[in-house]
Amino acid sequence: MEVYLVLCFICMLPIPAKSITTVDCKPAINESLAAKITINTVILQQPRCCFDNLTNLPCTSNTCEIWLVPAVDTGLSTFDANKASSAILSLSPYPTAFTGSSPANYFLTKVGLQSDFPCVSPSPGGYFRVGADGACSTTNCNGFLPQGSSPSFKYLLVDSVNKTVLAETKWSDSIALYTLKDPGTLGDGFAGRSGAMVIITTLLSVAAAVLLLFLIVVLALCCCGGKSKGSGSVVGSVMGSFRIPRYDTHHLKDPAPYDNPAYEKERKYTTQDTLPKTKATSAVNPVTQDTIKLQKI
Amino acid sequence: MIIVILCNAFAAAAGLALFALAIWVAVDGYKLYPISGVSGKDDIFAGAWIAIFTGFAYFCTCIFGIYAARKQRRSLMLAYLIIMFIIFIFECASCITAATNRDYVSRLLLLLSCLQVECCGTDSPLDWVEYNSTFRQLYGTTYPWPLNCCKRLSSFEVADSQGCIIGQTSTMFTQGCFTHIESVLSRYTWAVSWYGFSVQMFVFFMLLIAMVYFTQLG
Repeated sequence: MEVYLVLCFICMLPIPAKSITTVDCKPAINESLAAKITINTVILQQPRCCFDNLTNLPCTSNTCEIWLVPAVDTGLSTFDANKASSAILSLSPYPTAFTGSSPANYFLTKVGLQSDFPCVSPSPGGYFRVGADGACSTTNCNGFLPQGSSPSFKYLLVDSVNKTVLAETKWSDSIALYTLKDPGTLGDGFAGRSGAMVIITTLLSVAAAVLLLFLIVVLALCCCGGKSKGSGSVVGSVMGSFRIPRYDTHHLKDPAPYDNPAYEKERKYTTQDTLPKTKATSAVNPVTQDTIKLQKI
Repeated sequence: MIIVILCNAFAAAAGLALFALAIWVAVDGYKLYPISGVSGKDDIFAGAWIAIFTGFAYFCTCIFGIYAARKQRRSLMLAYLIIMFIIFIFECASCITAATNRDYVSRLLLLLSCLQVECCGTDSPLDWVEYNSTFRQLYGTTYPWPLNCCKRLSSFEVADSQGCIIGQTSTMFTQGCFTHIESVLSRYTWAVSWYGFSVQMFVFFMLLIAMVYFTQLG
C-alpha cells in the first residue's frame, strides 16, 4: 500500500514541462522604408540581439531557427495556448489559417537561422518582409496577410531537431494594414477660385471698361462735339484797334448785330478770332492794319 | 509729348519681354503639355500663345505711337489709341485665361504617373499603396508601385529594383507628381498671367496719358 501510495504520489507529481522563455524583445516595423506597410505585407526589423543572452539551449546558434508568428485578433490567444505543443509548426497551415468557419488566425513561417542575425549587423539596412511569398499554398510559407486586418507579430526560437519552441519575444503592437480606397476619392483637386485670379480678372475688367469709357468720351469731345474744349487760345497777331462794340454786317443773309468780343472783354485790340469770319474782314492786312480795304464780294 | 514718347518706349520694351516670356512658356521646357492635354485643361498654353501675339503687337504699336506723338497729328494718335485698346482687350483675355487655368489641375489624373517627370504618385508613393488602380490589379502582388517611381541609371535601367520594391528612399522618387506639376504650372502662370497683368497696368496708365495728349492736339 505504501508502495502504491508512493507510486501514486510519483504519478501525481506534475512532470515539469520545459517552459518557454519570454525575452524582452518586441518586433517592430522598419520605419525607414517607404513600403513598410501595404494592404497585405509588412516589413519588420530583423530579430537581432533578441535570443543571444539565453543559456542552456539544446541547439547552437547554427542549429537554432528563428520563426515568425503573424496573428490576427483571436490568433494571439490561440497561439499562446498551443505554443507548448510539439507539433506547433504545422498546427495551423498558412492556406487555412484565415479561412473557414473558425480560423486559427495565425501561422508560422521561418525567418532564418539564429546565426544569420548576429547582434552587431555586418551591413546596415536589414529587413524582413512578411508576405513576400504572396498567395502561396505550403504549410509554413510567408504568405500574404489578410487585407485590412491589424496583425501582431512574435519571433520564436525553435529547436530544429524536435521542432519545439524554446523561446519567444513579446507580441508586437498591432499594425493596421491599409485597405484599398477608390481612386475617385482622391478628389478633383478643384480648390475653388484662387484670390489671384479674382484680383486679376476684376482689375483688368475695370481697367478695360475705364479705358473704353475714356476713349468714347475723348472721341465724342474732339470729333463730334465741335466744342473747342481745351483747344488753347492761340493768340493771333494783333490786327489793330477795332473799337466798335456792335455793328451790322449788312451783307449777311440774316443780319444780326455782331457783338464785338474784343470790345466786350476790355481788350483794346482785335484778333483774328474775334473778327467775323467773312470775306470782307478776312482781307485785312496786318501790315496796314489801320486801313480796312473793303472788297467786292 | 516727351512723357508720351518715353512711356511708349518703355511699353515697347515691356511688350517685347512679354513676347519672349510667352515663347518660353509655349516651348514648354518642363514637358507639361502632355499631362495637361490629357486632363483637358491646357488653357495656360492658349494664354501663352495669345500673349506671344499681343506682346509683339504692343512692341510694334508703341513704336508707331512714338512716331505719332512726334508728328503731332490727331489722326495718327487716334489710330494708335484704338489699336492699343484692341490689343489691351486681347491681353486681358490672355491673363485671365492663364490665371483661371491654374485652378483646374486635377489630382486624379496624376495617379497615371508620368514617364518624363521624376515623381511618384499624386502626393507621395503611398498613393499607389492606398488606392486601387489598374496597375494594382495587374502587378500588385510583386510591386507596390510602378518602376517609373524608381531612380534610373543613364542607361534607363532601374538603379536598384530590390531597394525600390521595399521602398528605400535613396532608390526612388518620393516627391508626389501633384506637387511637382503644381510648382511647374505655377511658374508658367506667374509668367503669363502676372507679368501680363503688370504690363497691362502700365499700358492702362500710359493710354490715359496718351488720351490727354490727344485732346491737347490739333
